[in-house]
Amino acid sequence: MKKFKTKNVSKSEISTASLPDIVFLLLFFFMVTATIKAKDDQLVVQPPEARAVTKVEQKSLIRELTIGYPKNAALGVEARISSDGKLLSLEEITKWVFEQKNSLPESQRDQMIVMLRADEYVKMGLIADVQHELRKADARKVLFRTVLLRGGA
Amino acid sequence: MRSNKLKLESINTGSMADIAFLLLIFFLVSTTILQEKGLMLKLPPEVDDPTTIKIKDRNVFNIYVNSKNQYLIENEVRGDLSGLQSELINFILNESHSDHFAESPQDAVVSIKTDRGTDYKMFITLLDEVKESYYTIYGDRVGMSASAYRALDQSALEQRILYEKGKEGIPMNISIAEPDALAIK
Repeated sequence: MKKFKTKNVSKSEISTASLPDIVFLLLFFFMVTATIKAKDDQLVVQPPEARAVTKVEQKSLIRELTIGYPKNAALGVEARISSDGKLLSLEEITKWVFEQKNSLPESQRDQMIVMLRADEYVKMGLIADVQHELRKADARKVLFRTVLLRGGA
Repeated sequence: MRSNKLKLESINTGSMADIAFLLLIFFLVSTTILQEKGLMLKLPPEVDDPTTIKIKDRNVFNIYVNSKNQYLIENEVRGDLSGLQSELINFILNESHSDHFAESPQDAVVSIKTDRGTDYKMFITLLDEVKESYYTIYGDRVGMSASAYRALDQSALEQRILYEKGKEGIPMNISIAEPDALAIK
């Protein structure tokens, strides 16, 4: 009797050729959203350049205040302060500091760092007022957000 | 004559995903690191009646910027900041024991005063120059450049010792004076 060979099982493999495309799509998605989120604010902010920068090790201690000119003319032409997309007035800073301190563990509350991300053309008067408010609220560690000097060492 | 049949060979793209992931992770990490760099400053505590301490004139290095972004450095009008760093280092260390410079590095105070109308950029540029001068001094004491000194990792013991050695006895006395109020119209 003739032996019948069973039909050979077709070896099917899922093609992974499109996997890189998917990952690249993810990569682009993250790149795009990351830049949008940094700028998606009502204020225009271009931090000034500096060389003598220090890096903060404990990122959890940082709370950010943004100071810049409004993008939208409806908000006026004066420089404004904002935090997490919410506009703040000078008087509200004390309250803001208090809220931010409460979000930290108790042992780290006095180590909170306020990062001032201010536009390079904001006037010093406003910056000084903000600093004064921060001093009143006892949030005295301030980090002036800067970008690396272009073309500098 | 016909050439030999061309071999069809496909390049294995299986590792492409790994490469892309690597890129993705690199971008994620590098963007967050960049966010937290800046100039650190500790503001003085708020007190009701500030006690004025008389500081000898020779111990203070005065820098003033007006609302037109012009510099007045040690009572001298300047157009740019070239040479300011070496002047500051001279002033702080005073190796020539001059009467015009600080008595000792501990006593030296660099005062930056701005006007309410000064651009924030000007203030940062000055603060940067002053800090860079101090870092240059610190770095010099441990035989490094200013940028290498700043890059010292304080969580590693050996580097921390170097860091402390560099700044020992020379505090960064930077005074940020409150800007003059504008004359009310």
